[in-house]
Amino acid sequence: MSYVLTTCGFCSCGCAMYVQQENGKVTGLFPSENHPVSNGRLCIKGWNATPAILGADRLIKPLVRNGDRLEATSWDDAINYAASALKKIISESGPQSIGIIGSAKTTNEECYSLVKFARSVIRTPNIDGACRFYDASLIPALLETTGTPGSQVELSAIPKAGSILIVGSNVMEQLAHVGSRIEDAADNGCKVVAIDPRETRLAPHTSLWLHPKPGADLAWIRAFLKIIIAERLYTKNAPEIPGFEELRASLEGIEISQLKYSCWLEPAEVHKAVELVASNPPTIVMFGLGALQQPHSTEIVKGLANIAILLGGSVMTLRGQNNAQGACDVGLTNDLLPGYLKLADPVARKVWELVWNCQLPAEPGMTAVEMLKACESGTLKALLVFGENVALSAPNTQATLSALNKVGFLAVSDLYLTETANIADVVFPACSFLEKDGTFTNIERRLQRVRKVFERIGESKSDLEIIAMLGAALGAKMSADPEKVMAEISSSAPIYKGQSFRQLDEEWGRPWVPAENEAKLAPIETVTKDSEGEYPFYLIASRINFHQQTGTMTARSSVLAREYPETFAEMNEADAERLGIRPGSSIKIISETCSLTRVLSVSESVPKGCVHVPHFFGGDSPNALASYETDPVSGVPIYKAYAVKIEAVR
Amino acid sequence: MKKDYSILKKSDVPAFFASLANEMQLIGPKQLFAGDVTFDVIQSHKDIYWDYGHVVYPPKRFLLPHFEDMFRYTCDEQIKIEPTCNPQPQAIVAIRSCDVAAIRFQENFFSYPIVDPYYKERLNNTVLFNLVCNTPPKEECFCICCDSGPWLESGFDVQLTDLGDRFLYEVGSDKGEKATEPRAYMLLPATPADIEARRQIELQADSRFQTVSYLAKAINFISADEVPAKIWEDLGSTCFRCGACTNLCPVCTCFTVDDREEPDGTFTRCRSWDSCQYAGFTREASGHNPRPTFGSRVARRFYHKTSYQYIIRDGRHGCVGCGRCITACLTKLGLPDVVKRIRREMHEFLPPKEKAAEV
Repeated sequence: MSYVLTTCGFCSCGCAMYVQQENGKVTGLFPSENHPVSNGRLCIKGWNATPAILGADRLIKPLVRNGDRLEATSWDDAINYAASALKKIISESGPQSIGIIGSAKTTNEECYSLVKFARSVIRTPNIDGACRFYDASLIPALLETTGTPGSQVELSAIPKAGSILIVGSNVMEQLAHVGSRIEDAADNGCKVVAIDPRETRLAPHTSLWLHPKPGADLAWIRAFLKIIIAERLYTKNAPEIPGFEELRASLEGIEISQLKYSCWLEPAEVHKAVELVASNPPTIVMFGLGALQQPHSTEIVKGLANIAILLGGSVMTLRGQNNAQGACDVGLTNDLLPGYLKLADPVARKVWELVWNCQLPAEPGMTAVEMLKACESGTLKALLVFGENVALSAPNTQATLSALNKVGFLAVSDLYLTETANIADVVFPACSFLEKDGTFTNIERRLQRVRKVFERIGESKSDLEIIAMLGAALGAKMSADPEKVMAEISSSAPIYKGQSFRQLDEEWGRPWVPAENEAKLAPIETVTKDSEGEYPFYLIASRINFHQQTGTMTARSSVLAREYPETFAEMNEADAERLGIRPGSSIKIISETCSLTRVLSVSESVPKGCVHVPHFFGGDSPNALASYETDPVSGVPIYKAYAVKIEAVR
Repeated sequence: MKKDYSILKKSDVPAFFASLANEMQLIGPKQLFAGDVTFDVIQSHKDIYWDYGHVVYPPKRFLLPHFEDMFRYTCDEQIKIEPTCNPQPQAIVAIRSCDVAAIRFQENFFSYPIVDPYYKERLNNTVLFNLVCNTPPKEECFCICCDSGPWLESGFDVQLTDLGDRFLYEVGSDKGEKATEPRAYMLLPATPADIEARRQIELQADSRFQTVSYLAKAINFISADEVPAKIWEDLGSTCFRCGACTNLCPVCTCFTVDDREEPDGTFTRCRSWDSCQYAGFTREASGHNPRPTFGSRVARRFYHKTSYQYIIRDGRHGCVGCGRCITACLTKLGLPDVVKRIRREMHEFLPPKEKAAEV
């Protein structure tokens, strides 16, 4: 028996916990008492889901498709099979006909290695990460405004905030350590203003809750900015900040009196929100996926960053996955290089061309959603997916499954035979965060060590090893040593300069320091999209306390799976009465793409005209209802504001 | 049994515990990273970290493991059950008084009306070497309010009080006596000065606590079922449902079992800690939940901790004042905070006459 200190692999808070194992099973675990995030605490997922990672149905051998079946094979055979398929496709259709999607669950070293593999071994520009489905819009928006593509402040700043503006995040259920600190802030007198169509468990700690129309955040954000500027509520030096005049000009013509129609909010409510936030510095502007997965989410993030800048406050990004920050930091995106260097920048390209010994294209490759479309159209001949259950996490499940079935060659690396792995040509059994070394970067940019607790389950391997094996089969030498890979990242990615395993082992990790960029204000364009007529309801898809992502890990915990034994949807009582549907009966939720069935319960937390559906019920994901429509700048799908109609199931 | 005070010189401590380790596994506080400490198997007596305040992860898990395989079975033609639990003799060294008191509470729970063979066998194989807290308690400690520390009158097998260069050594049970006997030659008789030194420590203890919990009034209100649902629901509205309060509470006993299919086709019956703060814990097969709201579940927890019912049944509070519920809670539902809020907020609900009497 012994305890190994590692970093939790569920949400992006990044708690330090000690895990004990005996004979390949978790026998105990507890939070670090002195760690700056966990402080002796863990959330329900940390306490209950960790042992479930070692479920009996973990993939223990590579699988290769033989007709309708996936059959166990040796690592050599599986790697050679994949390498041969890739070589053939490269020679017949060129490397750009291969797409690679990585995960924000895997370590920084694995994400980086995948980028390097795509760009220098396969030589395809089509490399992207799961963040494209979640929060990728914050990168272009924050690079243009605050200059820091992530949180500007650490978690310890939250209890000291004078006001918090929190938009589109069920923070108490998804990021408990942020929620806990917001509660501390409220107890210290901080004014918390929440803006979210659905009222969540944050409500008791808020001074004001506004319920805007789903997908219409841009309307109130523009009004918010206009009020700050018109009433000179900004910080003293705001007019000198670059972009101030352009921002002011872009807000001209806004009719605040029309807010009720554009976003369901009364002008007086928005005024009150501005007043509360502006008169209680320092302000932290937080936003979660509710703000990031709607039409024109890049504009929304720019608007929220503008609010923070005008008020002299800071931005905190409430990202979802454990390594969402790190995956983007090390370049797991179609248009950036590690360290957020732009592909379009010839100097940056030169740096990484030297490190990787290859030529880099100046143009971005396909985003994850574009790759799926290209699988369907036949432009992409092969798709490699590492650690992401794309079949459920991508929008438009029917179209996604069709695309994944259609692509010539599909390789998947994962812990379990997920819905995506199940239709692959070759499946690599990956190992969990408890079985490997590396680093994750948390919500406050803190780079932290992940340490191996267990020996690998069965013949599973880390993605780092799998990528190195694939690289070797394709004639390239790639390191499978996470320490060496981190040394390579930190030698050339400016934001990770000075980070090393040795240094991280000596302390509780270390947040990377944002470059000292001067903040800029960005003009905000108006965009509206109404969904009425045939599809009169807005669907609000949300996360719940007990599960993470598509439930691949958390749903295998018997305690977590027990909490919600059946699927459900929530609706306002008035809407249910109007439709003549009784609580407890089944409803069909229909969008332009497909439909799904849920048991109805009524809840006053859901505003009229909306239906709330949580994720995580196996293959029956609300993502199925979304289309391939995305934010035009970032390519993030519009999961949070699509129009549906409701029918009773008789 | 007759109380017998001896002295164990600190210079003899290594030999004493090295000798004990020949007979049983030693469990003791061990330093981890950057000030974190936990109880773990001690390979060498040198690893025992005597100078610790408290640990967040209670040593109850050496009697009721956090995740435990109970037995393995096959369901072929004939059901075959193979036990996987085989407790070995162990000594938990330098355990704190609150944790010893909690183990006695758990012993009651797992002995009556049904005897839990796993707990019983482990406890029979365990000797508790309690270490009196005579350094300032941690900020969240309030054992003084629950009669479970900083020293114990009973419940320990051996109790050690640090007197500087020596420990005052008290044997508290037959089990403690048996564990002491082979090493008794290392013990010296205690002098009246040693006993007086211990008495001085006891006298000073009360004033050192930063957290106190005036339980009596809350016990009255809760036992009389007078706390309105609104107060419980207000408290419940802040609960994060993490279950840490029950996991880390050394008194809490709740567990769940589930059967896991192994890759070789056999099944394992597993037991793990569970929490009354989870809705699924009390939900019935019909779907009905007798404690459907957060508030009702929080109420249940504090009924268990503070009502007369449990004091009568178990002879003590369902709380030992270790303060882990304060450390572990993502909100402010540690017992002292809840008791304080009940005392204060009940004024709003008391009839005028009683309110006047309260003042």
